[in-house]
Amino acid sequence: MESLALSLVKSFPALSAAPMWAVSLALMVTAGVVVLVFALTFEGVGSLVLRKVAGDIQARIGPNRVGPNGILQFLADGVKLVLKEDLIPEKADRFLFKLAPYLVFVGSFAAFVVVPFGVGLSPADLNIGVYYVMAVTSLVVIGVMLAGWASNNKWALLGGMRAAAQIVSYEIPVGMALIPAVLVAGSLSLQDIVRSQGGLLGLFGWNLFHNPFTFFSFILYFTAAQAETNQTPFDLPEAESELVSGYNVEYSGIRFGLFFLAEFGDMFIVAALATACFLGGWNVPFFNAALLPPLWGNLLSLGVFLAKAFLMVLVMMWVRWTLPRLRVDQLMRMSWKYLVPLTFVNLLGVSLWLLLFRGKGIPQMIASVFG
Amino acid sequence: MGLKGYIHDIVEAVVTTAKGMRITARYGVDPKEEVTLQYPEERWEIPQGYRGFLHNDIKACTSCTMCVKVCPVDCISLEAVRGADKKMVLASYDIDIGRCMYCGLCVEVCPPKSLKHTSGYEMASVSRGELVLHFVPEDAAEIKARVARQVAEAAAKAAEAAKAAEAAKAAEGSAEPPKPAAGPPEPPPATEKKE
Repeated sequence: MESLALSLVKSFPALSAAPMWAVSLALMVTAGVVVLVFALTFEGVGSLVLRKVAGDIQARIGPNRVGPNGILQFLADGVKLVLKEDLIPEKADRFLFKLAPYLVFVGSFAAFVVVPFGVGLSPADLNIGVYYVMAVTSLVVIGVMLAGWASNNKWALLGGMRAAAQIVSYEIPVGMALIPAVLVAGSLSLQDIVRSQGGLLGLFGWNLFHNPFTFFSFILYFTAAQAETNQTPFDLPEAESELVSGYNVEYSGIRFGLFFLAEFGDMFIVAALATACFLGGWNVPFFNAALLPPLWGNLLSLGVFLAKAFLMVLVMMWVRWTLPRLRVDQLMRMSWKYLVPLTFVNLLGVSLWLLLFRGKGIPQMIASVFG
Repeated sequence: MGLKGYIHDIVEAVVTTAKGMRITARYGVDPKEEVTLQYPEERWEIPQGYRGFLHNDIKACTSCTMCVKVCPVDCISLEAVRGADKKMVLASYDIDIGRCMYCGLCVEVCPPKSLKHTSGYEMASVSRGELVLHFVPEDAAEIKARVARQVAEAAAKAAEAAKAAEAAKAAEGSAEPPKPAAGPPEPPPATEKKE
């Protein structure tokens, strides 16, 4: 942020009168607001797309009343959620009950900070990006657990406990499946990871095609991440048919809305991370966006990144409306007996590959054969 | 569970997921698979013999009470009085469609075929009382009073005619002993009522 502030001061001499920290602060706030607006818009439109996709897949039409073809449905939903009465159960722990949705939303939204939206477009390019995302999205589990506990409702408590067990279990495969990308790039920074996938190989420079193990780790990451964000085949914390609505059953109005937004935020984070770590991030195939003038390069790479991320979101929705919900024991078995060992084996495979072939992927080898 | 079973489980999970996703993708892409009928705008074609709301054509109805007797859920109530021309006059004919189960027995049994199933299936009401369909527009008490008046008038007319006839007879032959002035009055109007 400081470097950006410096360049801004350089290009607009009028700003040099203001102290440096003020310019930096203003930039930070602006970036935060922009990302928040993006997140909220995505969450709104995402909910509409989710319902439309559900309709298509289930041979229905989906929302089509509000606005042309129902495209304003999310606004109506949002207005409804804001206007609804904010109920707090009599015997609930009022403080924790009020706190929980904010924790969940903050945990989901804070992950947007390191998302590499474009060549120079990252709210903050932390050098521990991947690690940070993992840590901050785990905050969700505290919020969910609190929501379940503070509601003083047996269904909510069961949902919260399930959520805690699930998120904690799937944290391991998610982390282990992301590490191969970190190993290939040699950096935890998401921007560095994305940059490592660029180059002349285009599509085949992506970590997805680096070697067989990274391909598997992409699939493992995608599966485990769906479970970690409580997407439908693994949505046991809010299994409607068993737990009414799970941890958020007692919530109404905008507090429920925050849970809802966090869910969609998580969806985007998973898609963005998968894109950044395995699908080449903002890299435009066969073209170096960083060489363009900053504005155009940023816009182009932003478009490419969002296109890839939204495609991943669409795939997540597709999976969501395909698979039935797992049982609790099946869920735990899948994590501990299948995903955890597989990701470890996979990590070992990637490490050995990088050691044996000196960090070269299959496409690079093929390219070097042809000179 | 050996290693073979373990690998088999993984392969099966992947294969079945892929299969399921192929099916949902087909449904998702094909717009012709949509089965939703946009109800208030689009309507389905009502099949022949559709048993919708009951309708009674009260002009044709003979107040035979067959429908009342056959109804398994007792949703039809009928009141009728005997009119001046010895025919039954409907005073009220109500069907509680909140109770009706649309079995169609009443329609089958109706001798003048005045009771029919319509194709109607939409109705909304804010109270249960509104679910009772009234087929006789006038008030039952009014009809009964009117019919009673008509019957009384007819009886009076008949009595006058009888008197006149008697007077004529008396004029013809005075030897006969005088009879009582009028015949026995008409019986009170018959009322059939079944809840």
